[in-house]
Amino acid sequence: MLPLMAAAAVGHSAVAQETFPVNGVVNKQLVRTALEHATVHVSATEVLEDATVVFYQGRIEAVGPSSVIQVNGPVIRHDLNGLHVYPSFVDIHSDYAMPEAQREGWGRGPQDLSDKKGAYGWNEAVRPETRAADVFDPTEAESDRNAYQKGGFGAVVSHVQDGIVRGTGALVALSEDSRRALLKPEASAHYSFRKGSSSQDYPRSLMGSTALLKQTFFDANWYADASRLNERLETNLSLEAFNASRSMPSFFDAGGWEDGLRAAKVGADVDHNFILVAGNNAYQRLEELQATGASLVLSLDYPKAYDVSNPYTSRLVGLDELKHWELAPANAARVHAAGIEFALTADGLESPSGIRSAVWTSMRHGLPEAVALAALTEIPAKLIGASDRVGRIAKGLEANVLITDGPIFHPDAQLLENWVQGEQHTYVNRDEVDLRGSYNLAVADRILSLEVSGELSKLKAKVVIDSTDYKVDFAPDGRSVSLGMKLDTLGLDGWWRLSGNVWMDSRIWEGRGQRADGTWVEWSAIRQSEPETEASEYEAQPDSVQGDVMYPFVAYGNAERPAQRTVWFEGATVWTCEESGKLEQADVVIHNGKILAVGAALDEASVFGSSIPAYERVDARGKHLTPGIIDEHTHIAATRGINEGTQASSAEVTIQSSVNSEDVNIYRQLAGGVTTAQILHGSANPIGGQSAIIKFRWGASPQELLFEDASPFIKFALGENVKQSNWGNDYRSRFPQTRMGVEQVYYDHFYRAREYDQAWKDYRQNMRNASRKARRNNTLPAAPRRDLELETLAQILNEERFVTCHSYRQDEINMLMHVADSMGFTINTFTHILEGYKVADKMAEHGAGGSSFSDWWAYKFEVKDAIPYNGAVLHGQGIVTAFNSDDAEMARRLNQEAAKAVKYGGVSEEEALKFVTLNPAKLLRIDHRVGSIAVGKDADIVLWDDHPLSVYTRAEQTYVDGTKYYDLEEDAAKREWMRGERARLVQAMKAAAKGGGRTPSERMHFHYHCDTLTDENR
Amino acid sequence: MNYKALLTLVVGAGMAVAAAAQPTPAPDQKESILILGGTAHLGTGDALENAAIGLRDGKIDYVGFARTVDRARYDRVIEANGRHIYPGFIAPNSTLGLQEIGAVRATRDDAEVGTFKPHVRSIIAFNTDSEVTPTVRSNGVLMGQITPRGGVISGSSAFVHFDGWNWEDAALKTVDGIHLNWPVTHHRHWQDGKIDIRKRKTYDQERHEIQRFFSEAKAYAEAGEPSSTAVRDLRQEAMRGLFDGTLRLYVHANDVRQITEAVHFKREMGIAHLVIVGGTDAPAVADLLRDNNVPVMVKRVHSLPRFAEDDVDAPFRLAKELEDEGVLFCLQNAGGMEHMGVRNLPFYAGTAHAYGLTYEQAVQSITLNAAKIIGVDAFCGSLETGKDATLFISEGDALDMRTNYVTEAFIQGRAIDLDNRQRQLYRKFQAKYGAPILD
Repeated sequence: MLPLMAAAAVGHSAVAQETFPVNGVVNKQLVRTALEHATVHVSATEVLEDATVVFYQGRIEAVGPSSVIQVNGPVIRHDLNGLHVYPSFVDIHSDYAMPEAQREGWGRGPQDLSDKKGAYGWNEAVRPETRAADVFDPTEAESDRNAYQKGGFGAVVSHVQDGIVRGTGALVALSEDSRRALLKPEASAHYSFRKGSSSQDYPRSLMGSTALLKQTFFDANWYADASRLNERLETNLSLEAFNASRSMPSFFDAGGWEDGLRAAKVGADVDHNFILVAGNNAYQRLEELQATGASLVLSLDYPKAYDVSNPYTSRLVGLDELKHWELAPANAARVHAAGIEFALTADGLESPSGIRSAVWTSMRHGLPEAVALAALTEIPAKLIGASDRVGRIAKGLEANVLITDGPIFHPDAQLLENWVQGEQHTYVNRDEVDLRGSYNLAVADRILSLEVSGELSKLKAKVVIDSTDYKVDFAPDGRSVSLGMKLDTLGLDGWWRLSGNVWMDSRIWEGRGQRADGTWVEWSAIRQSEPETEASEYEAQPDSVQGDVMYPFVAYGNAERPAQRTVWFEGATVWTCEESGKLEQADVVIHNGKILAVGAALDEASVFGSSIPAYERVDARGKHLTPGIIDEHTHIAATRGINEGTQASSAEVTIQSSVNSEDVNIYRQLAGGVTTAQILHGSANPIGGQSAIIKFRWGASPQELLFEDASPFIKFALGENVKQSNWGNDYRSRFPQTRMGVEQVYYDHFYRAREYDQAWKDYRQNMRNASRKARRNNTLPAAPRRDLELETLAQILNEERFVTCHSYRQDEINMLMHVADSMGFTINTFTHILEGYKVADKMAEHGAGGSSFSDWWAYKFEVKDAIPYNGAVLHGQGIVTAFNSDDAEMARRLNQEAAKAVKYGGVSEEEALKFVTLNPAKLLRIDHRVGSIAVGKDADIVLWDDHPLSVYTRAEQTYVDGTKYYDLEEDAAKREWMRGERARLVQAMKAAAKGGGRTPSERMHFHYHCDTLTDENR
Repeated sequence: MNYKALLTLVVGAGMAVAAAAQPTPAPDQKESILILGGTAHLGTGDALENAAIGLRDGKIDYVGFARTVDRARYDRVIEANGRHIYPGFIAPNSTLGLQEIGAVRATRDDAEVGTFKPHVRSIIAFNTDSEVTPTVRSNGVLMGQITPRGGVISGSSAFVHFDGWNWEDAALKTVDGIHLNWPVTHHRHWQDGKIDIRKRKTYDQERHEIQRFFSEAKAYAEAGEPSSTAVRDLRQEAMRGLFDGTLRLYVHANDVRQITEAVHFKREMGIAHLVIVGGTDAPAVADLLRDNNVPVMVKRVHSLPRFAEDDVDAPFRLAKELEDEGVLFCLQNAGGMEHMGVRNLPFYAGTAHAYGLTYEQAVQSITLNAAKIIGVDAFCGSLETGKDATLFISEGDALDMRTNYVTEAFIQGRAIDLDNRQRQLYRKFQAKYGAPILD
């Protein structure tokens, strides 16, 4: 398709603003532009040498070998011999020419509903009706536009970066006229977990954002369905806009792999594909990202070196930050090597003008040039379905090209011009003559040797006589030059000032000048040698050797995932937590993640059968072996909010959407023998959120931490927290404010859940009964609106989900059991349950378990009557009793807390140990898998060097699924390794920071408790 | 457990329906008492097996061996064979008695308003009727340094024992020192889930204000006692003792830089006794502390390391590191849940033993060392003749929660009632259920 184009053949008439009345005479735009004899990179992988590109009316009309392309009609030709032409870049994550999000001031009271006027949705953070095209205003965005152009961009997808559902993005060219620039007014749909400028309370947490986003998908489904059947009673412009954008490419602003994986999970749940805008840390979890199948958008904002001059303040820089500083530049290369498709964005750079040097940094870390180019051109064009408009140099596309004098990302190559929609933006004048070289300067009958050197923008000159340099004041100005010389030693006394013109590509200069005495003199200069062009090394050289990625990416992470082991523990005191009780000098064998054998005098054949695997023997004589400790109630390993808490019920939210696998407390607690924990929602509202039960597989991804097939749980709460007793005067309006109201919240929600459940049952029945005719005519009944909150509560009624309830006072404990009894379910667990001892008989009758603190009290009025004997009393009444932490520090000493059940109330040691092993396993309904040492159960076990209930004992080894995640001796080696790695990186960083650098910052090591209220998900 | 079964009979029968009330303060010691047998942990770093400890007129009048003591000299003998005897444990830097229910403002008297308030005295608000205190002393913690919070200078602390009708009875030293919270050198700036720490712009100013406050107080002190009619400055009057060595300056500081500056400040100001409270980074500046005779009240042993890559057991080992460096230290438990949590002080010492201290060093870290640092070792802190007979007997090792069980406790020879509201509630409800009392 190498066309011979005649002007008449051009089908479109792209004269701007066709419909507008004209003031004056019309510009017909008949003159074409031809870029000739260039090396044309028509795509990232296809290069045409000596080629021509023709522009007509802002678009590419033809591209092909210069020998073939002929242009008829008026044309301006540019000879680009020796230069390169590239398609200009496309950035698909931008807020170019978008208005700033307006935030309302802080400190206003609670706000339940959106205060946006009009028939829009209820939540301000869900704003699908926002159309970037509507608010796109390039007239005020000149400096941003210049910066993008200077970076090499020709078009961007811009959207209002505010809220969870952000509306649509527009593909715009970087031209000033919005009518010309808007290439695709609705190019994309945009999402995030960040609440943004919304002044509404809900959602306050990451899990709230996640639930809100999912619910919005379900609401939109329902809305579409109801509209189709003409059963819709309300109009919701937000949902209409949402549905309209469903078919557009969807970008999720995740900022990193963490939210990236979360977004992919949401996508899977609602059957929607997201392209993940994933920051610069994807290298930390490549396998998991790859498994999502999502394309990525990567940023190149690599961390700057910290100032590590002071050894004390540099402690504030974490090992993970040091390593990220080193590894982030290799991010794109590693993502590429993993076979994941990605685009690059300038988002996060100080200015988009720095994109090429940022890419070069990536190339030095292994990113191939063609991949980088594709990631800035073809791939983004493809991801937004605009390959017919941008991203390559081909007929019909926008005339968006770059002209360079070398490979585009190389630091020695210059971006000479950026053409946007046929409009030329020049950075370096192609016609500029290179004055550098040596000349014979003839003046006043002398021949002087003149040398011009330096950078093109900053030339300098000198006269050299007998190897002595004499500085010359040199001022070139386009094609004229002036020279000021003071050469008294040569008899040219005083300042001689010459002015002249440059001719013949600088081969000859000539002009006149004034001697010191004011008389005039003729002069000329003839070039003796061409400027020296250094042979550029265009291959990217790999940067320094890089350290390993750690799993998880935090202190004490492992370079390699530890493997399952087959271990024979010999001669231990084994606390089985089974009926067999405590076995002295017994053996335990673990194999394939399970406990294979327990007992005295085991022999290989009876344990392994005929095929004996390789295994290690651990001499456990004098030591104690217990089941892994299980914490019924923790708040570690969760991120961006532990309480949604903005409504009396937030049953729709789940901690599973905010699990943080990179929390060092997992490791610290492994060192205390903990192997499983339930991460609970906080206690800010009567119906909190769904929990996550995790195994402490240190290094696994958030999803892999989840205890597979565990029964689902939800957190409830009673008392002071839910009635907002200690929240200050602003919070006196949310129902409930008394324990009386708390009861009504439950009844109201459970009746609604029952009705909801019935509606779905009816619907399913109707569907089964529906006539073939209805099916044929597509008049099947509309499904009820799927409601994540009521669905969760209905699961409780159907005993498919279990309640663990934060509780203190006996009256409210009693109340909740009545609610449950009357609604036909059982409260599985009362957690905290500090006045449980007052109603132990009632709890036993109801069938509830209790997970308590050993000895906490007196921190709130409702724990005035809390006693450390509580656990013993509950246990004595036949209640399954556990001690939990609710505290990241205490959690690593739960065995000692169990000992307090011996001290306070005389529980036997074996039974006390069950308070932190088998009993919490029962409460979590995972006792078929964990909680005791029994053949066939998971090999979650701890080897202690002393009596497991003693303050003096230490965990020597902790296993989860037969994999050793903690070892006292390996811990020492790990510390050494960290010290070494740290020292190496600090040296490298010190060298890189060159006396400056960022001030170190201390991360928020924030430990959540039940009543932690934060708003950290904006 | 045998002793618990025994108590079931004794306590369960007699006190099951005792009215829920605070234990009555014990009457003065009338009869002399000899504790015979058992292991006496002296608090000095030594222990005696098969010991004999004599209590007379509120003082210890004998410390020796059971086989040599003259039993006839005592009115009453307590057989302690197989049991352990300890000096009363001391809880430094505690808000016990200053607050009752953490979340109820009306019950909190631990932090007065203001910035420099050396004149504010904690002893005034020490509530001897707190329901928390009896639960603390029943674990062997019998004395404490009651310390105010807040501001730059929080006020003065008092040294008390945990038995008395009123604060005058409880006070062993109404003012033992002034508490200064050294300003943090970096300010915290919230940003995207991170806290940026930068050097605080106001740090130099705040340090200057402290300097000035002390300089003025020193000048005031050097001018001598004002006449009865002269104008008095209450704040500067309260500071007087810092410069003549009668009061200690307790500087609450954890970071290297804070600690270093505090030690330099002590020298500049000519302050006789400086104590660092907290001291997370103290091992890093151990030489400085040792050379300047600055002891440390070590931050709560059961706490988390500061940085992710810190040794997992760093807080457990801090005491041992200071011991190795020859810095005098004791344990304390300031932090969350501090007033009710101080009953776990013995177990902090247990952990410090697990992580390096010898057993007797661990005992010392909550007895004599604390007394020395607070300046009350002349009359308490160890089992030595002539000191207050403030001590207790435990069935087992009192530093281990598995075995800590206090059977008798004496404060200045007075046998105190070890009952508390929590025990009363326990008995009340076990009785309701017809269940045995195993306490």
